[in-house]
Amino acid sequence: MIVVARAYLGLILVFLYAPIIVMGVMSLNASEFYALPFDFSTEWYERLFANEEVLAASWRSVWIALVVATVATTLGTMASLALWRHDFPGKRILQALLFPPIAVPWLIIGTAMLVFFFGIGLGRGTPAVVLGHVALALPYVIITVTARMQSFDRALDEAARSLGARSWTVARKVILPYASPGIIAGWLFAFAVSFDQFVVSYFLAEPGDSTLPVLIYTAIRKGFTPEINAIATIIIAVSMTLMIVAARFARFGGTR
Amino acid sequence: MTRAERIRALGLLAPAYLWLTVAVFLPLSAMAFFSLLTEVPFGEREWSFTIANYTEVFGNPVYATLLWKSLKLGFWVTFWCLVLGFPCAWILARMLKGRSREVLFLLVILPFWSNALVRIFSWAIVLRGNGVLDRAVNAVLPWDVNINLMFSEPAIIIGLVHSYLPYVILTTYLSLQAIDETLIEAARSLGARWPRILWRLVLPLALPGLIAGAVLVFVPVVGSFMEPRLLGGRFGTTYGTLIEDQFVAVFNWPLGAALSFILLAVVLVILAAASPALRKAAT
Amino acid sequence: MKTILTPAALALMTPMALADEIRVLNWQGYGTDLDWAIAAFTEATGHTVVHEYFTSEQEMLTKLRTNPGAYDVVLINSAFTPQAQAEGLITPIDPMKVPNLADVDPALVANQDLNPGGALYGVPWTWGLTSFAVNTGDFPEAPTSLSVFWDPAFKGRVSIRDDALEAVQFAALATGQNINDITDMDAVKAKLTELMPQIATFWGAETDWNQNMAAGQFAVATYWSGSAARSISEGLPVAFVVPEEGAIGWLDGLSIPASSTKQDAAHAFIDWMIDPDFYVKWEAEGAPATSNTAAAAALPEESFNRKVLGDPAVVARVQFMRPVADETREAYLALWQELKAGQ
Repeated sequence: MIVVARAYLGLILVFLYAPIIVMGVMSLNASEFYALPFDFSTEWYERLFANEEVLAASWRSVWIALVVATVATTLGTMASLALWRHDFPGKRILQALLFPPIAVPWLIIGTAMLVFFFGIGLGRGTPAVVLGHVALALPYVIITVTARMQSFDRALDEAARSLGARSWTVARKVILPYASPGIIAGWLFAFAVSFDQFVVSYFLAEPGDSTLPVLIYTAIRKGFTPEINAIATIIIAVSMTLMIVAARFARFGGTR
Repeated sequence: MTRAERIRALGLLAPAYLWLTVAVFLPLSAMAFFSLLTEVPFGEREWSFTIANYTEVFGNPVYATLLWKSLKLGFWVTFWCLVLGFPCAWILARMLKGRSREVLFLLVILPFWSNALVRIFSWAIVLRGNGVLDRAVNAVLPWDVNINLMFSEPAIIIGLVHSYLPYVILTTYLSLQAIDETLIEAARSLGARWPRILWRLVLPLALPGLIAGAVLVFVPVVGSFMEPRLLGGRFGTTYGTLIEDQFVAVFNWPLGAALSFILLAVVLVILAAASPALRKAAT
Repeated sequence: MKTILTPAALALMTPMALADEIRVLNWQGYGTDLDWAIAAFTEATGHTVVHEYFTSEQEMLTKLRTNPGAYDVVLINSAFTPQAQAEGLITPIDPMKVPNLADVDPALVANQDLNPGGALYGVPWTWGLTSFAVNTGDFPEAPTSLSVFWDPAFKGRVSIRDDALEAVQFAALATGQNINDITDMDAVKAKLTELMPQIATFWGAETDWNQNMAAGQFAVATYWSGSAARSISEGLPVAFVVPEEGAIGWLDGLSIPASSTKQDAAHAFIDWMIDPDFYVKWEAEGAPATSNTAAAAALPEESFNRKVLGDPAVVARVQFMRPVADETREAYLALWQELKAGQ
């Protein structure tokens, strides 16, 4: 039985990794037209590091993701601590309001943002992209931090307070340290959401200032060279490393 | 809650929710407004209110055909994600232990963090005639076969299942893990066979996770446009590509807004139908 | 001493002092984005060039509408120039800033579609054909008729571009009609309905066209003459065909968006693009036909554009695209959407 199970899991892994491996391998294939058979070449990596457009878009994506992750984590942590610590009417509604940014298709949210930002005169551009990304990342942060706080022993909070500690001191000395793995995981989540975000960026990014996923989409539709495979391979390596780090903090899959 | 506490809670909550209002809730309302206009109200364009965008959508069978096609696509992708994902989650949650489980779990979730577009494009290289799959199968089989799945409906489904399978595995895994081992033991000691245990005991208990996963797959797939465009060829026109075209190419934003809004309504109905199960899954 | 030095110093300084980054909106791989051409332009003028691409004229117009100020030079098919002008998207060209205009064929400069409202809104740059190319592996001998698109032997290996206007005009050619005055839309619809099951995918740009041809995914696909020349020079096994039914002719102009803030640099770039030196080098890599008579005269005898487009029998079969009225365009779009949705 366990043999069958392992074989099945192996097949699923082959399915999941086949295109990723192909992508990496093709970044080392000489043919511009992705023609087979394979012919080894590092040309595309060399071309990539000379391609200012791709590099500029990559850096733009990185710093947008850094800004987004930091803003979303700050606002999200504040909100989730308030949601966790206090009970008040309307709390369930506030919690429910976190779902639309996750559950409504990004196509709808992206087009709605485009329409609205044009309507208020903000238009397209990096500010619009950051505004949109933070909104998409916020629920992930709030959910992650809240999940972490669920295991917090409230008696600790009360003990500290009964000893006369002020609320802010309790937050700084007791709650925040406890929440920190959740906050870090939330930050990484937010970073990933922003960095890989295509749909919303696609509608909000300004021409000439596009982010990497948008550049990749236009490249795929309008002319694609293995340079894109090269940058994507590098990104996968980086984001998988990030993910492994995040997993260590959030302990996905571990026993609860 | 004292007055001071209330103010503090408000101060903590306000920034996040203000942000969500400006970037999500107001835009969604603005879209509802736009969908009722004749022209986008920028610059010197003349505009007025109309329901023509909606009558156009409901009057022209093309839109209904595409919506139906996207819903069907959502159904099949969800179906395959559940069929493939459930055993996978079962093995991870109930058959593996310790370190090998952690490692395999991470391996299943990791592809999710690679660029979705490039993954889809890589499928193109795998699936097309004389591509990787074709060559691999021909290298194994003694006779010649010609496999060219590119530019077909199966290609779209394969690409989308690949993109969304980890969702289902993750949610199902969580609900399977919560099942008490003694329940299954008890059922077995009472002489129940595996199919019966699976059907009467495991499935109902795993249902919240399965439904949560299904919703997480179905909703974005119904609105997908880039995967069908890249993998589907002439079959790649969906409700999503239609909306994309209105915004990116044709510049009929009011019609695009109406199409988006109708999709939103459909999605909300589906979410509402699934919400009892979702609430169960969340706790 | 001072009086001699100052103008010289100014001449040296000016390009650097006024160096702008201009943004060009064009099809991918269509001349303006050639690395060597941009490098030479930057060296000569100090201006740098950034590109943005579109896959249809509709998309190009929407990009202009929704991104004011984002572009400085835009390539517009002359059939769309009047529409862009009517919407106030582009500004008249100042001929004084485009010295090479003197060498451009006067008939093209006076082209009515490039002069909406009596002023020159697009500098005629290139012209060519939309016809089709075949994979020589499947066609040792090039076909002479559009009917290959409907040949069951090539089912699933046919491609056209995802563009309502082009699809309809293509079907008009196949049904023996005037592409600018299609009277029998039913015939067009029937012809396209028959074509759909043959199609593998819709191509969007030269690169994906080339990739699909190289992979053998396409046997026969619509294509532009200049792009075909380029694919052939890159070694793809393809042949360009101008069938007996005729081909769609187009004239592309370079225009300047009304919202551009770098008009001088934009004019300089356009002048650079119609320069014979640039064209002759471009032609060697594969290019559409030039508007510049001096450049055309400088081409070698064996060049693609002399051989294919220089043949009077070919030119006689070409129908040049004219502007299309809004209602007509919408009718084409509705038909095309219906056909695609039915798949």
